[in-house]
Amino acid sequence: MDPEKQDAAIVSLLTQHQPALHLYVSSLMPGDSGADDVAQEANATIWEKRHDFEVGTNFKAWAFSIARIQVRKYRYKQAKDARFVFCEELEDTIAEELGENLDDVSEHQAALQKCLQLLKPADRELIYHRYFKKTPLKEYGEQVGRSIGGLKVTLHRIRNRLQACIESRLALGEEASL
Amino acid sequence: MNAQKRNQLIDELIDGTISESDFLILEAELRVDPEARAVYYARQKLTAALNIEAESLSTEMERERKTVSMFWRSQARWVGSVAAVAALAVVGFLGWKVGKVDSPAEALAEPIASGYAVLSEQSDVSWEGGTQLDRGDLLPQGMLRMESGIAQFELFSGVTVIMEGASEFEIHSPMEMTVLSGRIRALVPAAATGFRVSTASGDVVDLGTEFALDVTSEGADMHVIEGEIEWHPESKDKRLLTDGESLRWSVTGEFSESGFEAGAIPVIDDFERQFANQRLKRKQAWQLSSERLGSDPRVIAYYSMNAEAGWSRQVRDSSGSGLHGTMVSARRVADRWDESGKAVSFSPTGSRVRVAIPGEHNSVTFYCWARIDSLDRWYNSLFLTDGHELNEPHWQIMDDGRLFFSVKRQEETRTRDDKHIAFSPPFWEPSMSGKWFQIATVYNVDDRTTTHYVNGEAISQDRIPDDLFVDTVRIGAASIGNWNEPTRGDPYFALRNLNGAIDEFAIFNEALSADEIADLYEQGRP
Repeated sequence: MDPEKQDAAIVSLLTQHQPALHLYVSSLMPGDSGADDVAQEANATIWEKRHDFEVGTNFKAWAFSIARIQVRKYRYKQAKDARFVFCEELEDTIAEELGENLDDVSEHQAALQKCLQLLKPADRELIYHRYFKKTPLKEYGEQVGRSIGGLKVTLHRIRNRLQACIESRLALGEEASL
Repeated sequence: MNAQKRNQLIDELIDGTISESDFLILEAELRVDPEARAVYYARQKLTAALNIEAESLSTEMERERKTVSMFWRSQARWVGSVAAVAALAVVGFLGWKVGKVDSPAEALAEPIASGYAVLSEQSDVSWEGGTQLDRGDLLPQGMLRMESGIAQFELFSGVTVIMEGASEFEIHSPMEMTVLSGRIRALVPAAATGFRVSTASGDVVDLGTEFALDVTSEGADMHVIEGEIEWHPESKDKRLLTDGESLRWSVTGEFSESGFEAGAIPVIDDFERQFANQRLKRKQAWQLSSERLGSDPRVIAYYSMNAEAGWSRQVRDSSGSGLHGTMVSARRVADRWDESGKAVSFSPTGSRVRVAIPGEHNSVTFYCWARIDSLDRWYNSLFLTDGHELNEPHWQIMDDGRLFFSVKRQEETRTRDDKHIAFSPPFWEPSMSGKWFQIATVYNVDDRTTTHYVNGEAISQDRIPDDLFVDTVRIGAASIGNWNEPTRGDPYFALRNLNGAIDEFAIFNEALSADEIADLYEQGRP
């Protein structure tokens, strides 16, 4: 295959696997805000090493193995700030299992949008602070006069509701309520 | 470990708040239980999606008037990232993030407004360029040109300025203004000593007084009514003027001690009388239109709040149908012309006007004049039926300033909505606190549309989807300014009373036209 076509093929595979790759990286790094950067690094490395990839072989396995190395590098650099790390076996399992059913990403996103609209304003505000402003829960709790424990429980419930809402929307392909 | 506890730990893991011992327990669970992993993946996926979507919540919360629906924006973002990848193949790779948009918006900041002064009174004022300003509006920044009339504005420093007739001026700060031409009267309290008025021939610096100033292209005439001012002419030494002194100063620097003719200076009472007369005239114009409204056969109920009531807590229906309302907790306050006792304030907790509206209707129009002090509840009531039964309308304002109108179609289930909600874009923000608005919503069963109007103009119209369309509206027991919850015997209730006042409220059994609503607005403007 000529290099131009090879490049085009890699771009298309990489695009296709972006959501899975991101999900994989963040699954290996739960609770770590560096996941996005690591995924970026992984993308860059995959692109650098693109000539090592044989078109037609398992792209996901290859890309994930590179991503996993990036996660390790990151951990190594962050050693002093030891995060929670899964054992090898579990990381292998995650690599195998992820990326199988990810082709509905944009539908998932659209469903979430609809479901967010159904939230109570105060719940939407909490989601907004947690995921966009990244306001620490403690600080937000002080702002709205609530305990961290209470906010955690509320967040958990909101997520449960959103997830149920998304799932029923995706399953039915139609209107679903919270 | 039960599933609920496990799922909670998964959230803590993703939030980075899990304890070490819980982590070990959860890890063991994840290793052996595919279901636990499935939940973990789903939560990671939700987190990724929320990280993207939370941004759209921010714009929603910033009360931006977005006409493009969220759905399409998100689609565009995904398409956009794919297009970006394609572009990268050509220009070379630098790294990218999927779905991340770099637009950190400052949201939920403290509400702000801009301006240094509020228009507090006006009489027959016309502004150049057809600018419309209502009492209570912030004066726009920049040069203002008044063609005629008398306007009084209050600067935040405490200075009251009255402008008379054709004038051209600009307010630079609560303590400084420029007058190119026009007659002004300034009342400067001690708190605003040092207030400066700049003119082409010099500056007046006030030392705590009341003074009059007449600025023309030739020069400035000034007169101290009470107290002291300093006159700082261009390129000459300053002069002090005290009680009763006048000075005329030309742009070329010539001056004389006589400025204003004796008796040519109206006293402040004259202005106040004039403003009061103006309000009275506006109110009389409305009263004529209000009488017509009362006899309009399309009116189901009309609470003008001005009719003589049978007893103090009654709110009389002026339509002749006898559907009088009863005030609960609400207090009588001044109406939009400042006439006391002719509006109902719903701010006290539990406030409402109870009404019972019989019959079945098709198209309906809800119409009121309301003063909103704040939208600090999720739902701020205008008119809601008790509970929420089939065919019943609910009319309220969301905490972000959007109007909400719905008629319930069916019981809600997991897979279907109970009603279509017609939202307007946000029309209110905290800087409008205390202002009176005409608000109307037309539910038209012929066109299957809901149209929201504010101050005589349609701000949104949407079509009701066929599966949620309802052609019969029933009201029954309902509240103006609040909502009666369906639960009885439960002392707890949601706070949904309008923090503000209503001084006119009507329900019509037909869809009013845009022209009629615009006309009602013109007749009813304070």
